[in-house]
Amino acid sequence: MKEKMTKIVLWLALAILLLAYPKLFGLYYVNLFVTFMVFAVFSLSFNMLLGFTGLLSFGHAIFFGMGGYGTALALRHIEGISLFPAMGCGVAAAVLLAAILCPVVIRVTGTAFAMVHLAFGQLMYVLALKLRNITGGEDGIGNFPLPDFSFLGIISLPLKNNPVNFYYFALLVLGLCTWLMWFFTQTPFGQIQVGIRDNAKRIDYLGFKVPESKAVIYITSAFFAGMAGSVYGLFHNLVSADGSLNVLVSFAAITATLIGGIGSFFGPIWGTAIFQILEEITIRFTEQVELVTGVIMILVIMYAPRGFAGFLSALNLKWQTYRAGRGK
Amino acid sequence: MDATTAMYVSQAIHGIAYGMILFLIASGLNLIFGMMGVLNLAHASFFMLSGYFCYQVLTITGNFWLSLLFAPLGTALFGIIVERVFLRRMHAFGHLGELMLTVGLSLVILAGVKFFWGTESLPIPVPETLQGLVRIFGLEYPIYRLFVIGLSLFVLVLMILALYKTRLGMIVRAAVSDRDMVNALGINIPLVFMVVFGIGCWLAGIAGVAIAPILTVFPGLADQVGMDAFIVVVTGGIGSLGGAFIVSLIFGLLSSFGIQFVSQLAPVLMVGFMALVLIIRPHGLFGVEE
Repeated sequence: MKEKMTKIVLWLALAILLLAYPKLFGLYYVNLFVTFMVFAVFSLSFNMLLGFTGLLSFGHAIFFGMGGYGTALALRHIEGISLFPAMGCGVAAAVLLAAILCPVVIRVTGTAFAMVHLAFGQLMYVLALKLRNITGGEDGIGNFPLPDFSFLGIISLPLKNNPVNFYYFALLVLGLCTWLMWFFTQTPFGQIQVGIRDNAKRIDYLGFKVPESKAVIYITSAFFAGMAGSVYGLFHNLVSADGSLNVLVSFAAITATLIGGIGSFFGPIWGTAIFQILEEITIRFTEQVELVTGVIMILVIMYAPRGFAGFLSALNLKWQTYRAGRGK
Repeated sequence: MDATTAMYVSQAIHGIAYGMILFLIASGLNLIFGMMGVLNLAHASFFMLSGYFCYQVLTITGNFWLSLLFAPLGTALFGIIVERVFLRRMHAFGHLGELMLTVGLSLVILAGVKFFWGTESLPIPVPETLQGLVRIFGLEYPIYRLFVIGLSLFVLVLMILALYKTRLGMIVRAAVSDRDMVNALGINIPLVFMVVFGIGCWLAGIAGVAIAPILTVFPGLADQVGMDAFIVVVTGGIGSLGGAFIVSLIFGLLSSFGIQFVSQLAPVLMVGFMALVLIIRPHGLFGVEE
């Protein structure tokens, strides 16, 4: 009972903090937080594959990029389309791509899965640069119309050039995504994911369809990655190959998941936060983002392979042993 | 011989030369993977690094042959240090750790290359003895491309001899099939791993020097050629040397004729071919199920 109360109080405090955030901090930090939320959701969708199903992808950015490009193209070419249908276009593009890739990728595992995604990621990147009349080449698609955020005619918030409104919009959409992903891991189907990761043969033997389950998980993951990409494109009012399809975008998700802790649901959120704080500090001293990413990757994998979440659970274990020892 | 045939033949020569370079990189990757189970994602970065070493030796000595000798050796030495200091400690954490570590390493090498040599592309002149064209059967071939094909074939023969005719080769082949058993027989497997890793990097190094006069040396080299080499390995079947050879040649020809006829779609052709192969055979053309 007491623990339940503490939990409710903590959640309330978090909600109030998030709502009051734009009032407490400056615009710069509001924008930073939106970026954080986008990449947290992207990393969570990535961890759905890596942490929960054991599939390492080196090209998760393709779905992020599809989400962004789909939304931007819809807003540019369809007159008077409102916000959610446009985002739906982006997400649908990501899901469609995942559905097309499915037959190939669910048949391979491990290293081959990673490499196939690296290749597809590179392919999408090159295509985005080459198909200039659709994607705008190196310049990307920028300055597309950004409709107001309206909900059933009850509220209507202009998003263009209004970071605070955009913050609330992103908080709503991405918060919902996070909750949905968490809910997904709690369902019986989410448990099969873990089963596939740990022992695919056994799951098959128990009568579950492994390839079909993997396909569903893969498409779900693409859905959320596309959502994150769509919000990211809206946020910058620009979608470019370097910003959303580059292999470094995929690596950002991998690094965040790694730092946070593979297999823990909230790990990628911790990881994204830590990664961003580190990047924010180092960018003041050096322009070498690749060096920082690389060094962090090497250090984490060598010295803290279970990431921040692993560190936390080790700490918790120590605390519990300490308490148990004192209670005696 | 008419102009069209001449064009086809010269494109084919270009394709084969590029395919052979791809094979040099892919064979190093395959050797390391077959032996240690590590897919070295930094392999393409070693290849690029060798190009830069080549540039460095060339600016100091001015002799291409010296750089052909020393740059791959330097790359191999670097690879051995990496294996000894980083990779050896990662075996316990499984494939994921090794993949991530090599990705991190490739990013560090990329940053290092940009730091030491800058971001612009550095031209490497074709050595004087290999400049110009040679006439065979009334057709003109650039000597350097033929030299690249010859060099690759020479290295390939050397590899096969080393693998099947020497004691080290025997140990390597035995370790590929059962590394624990070979270790139990009293052979220092970690040492053999280190040497094999070095040889793999040496192969990438030779490819790096060979391609430098054709493409110049720039920080995007690892991405551009390395990606092709990874596609070769995955399509040919990870760990299969013969598969890598055949697919390298197919890809070399695909890329040279692709640029000739459908220049916009040349990169798509290779990935399309890979997708086709993987749909039919998920473990690659000559791959065996894990």
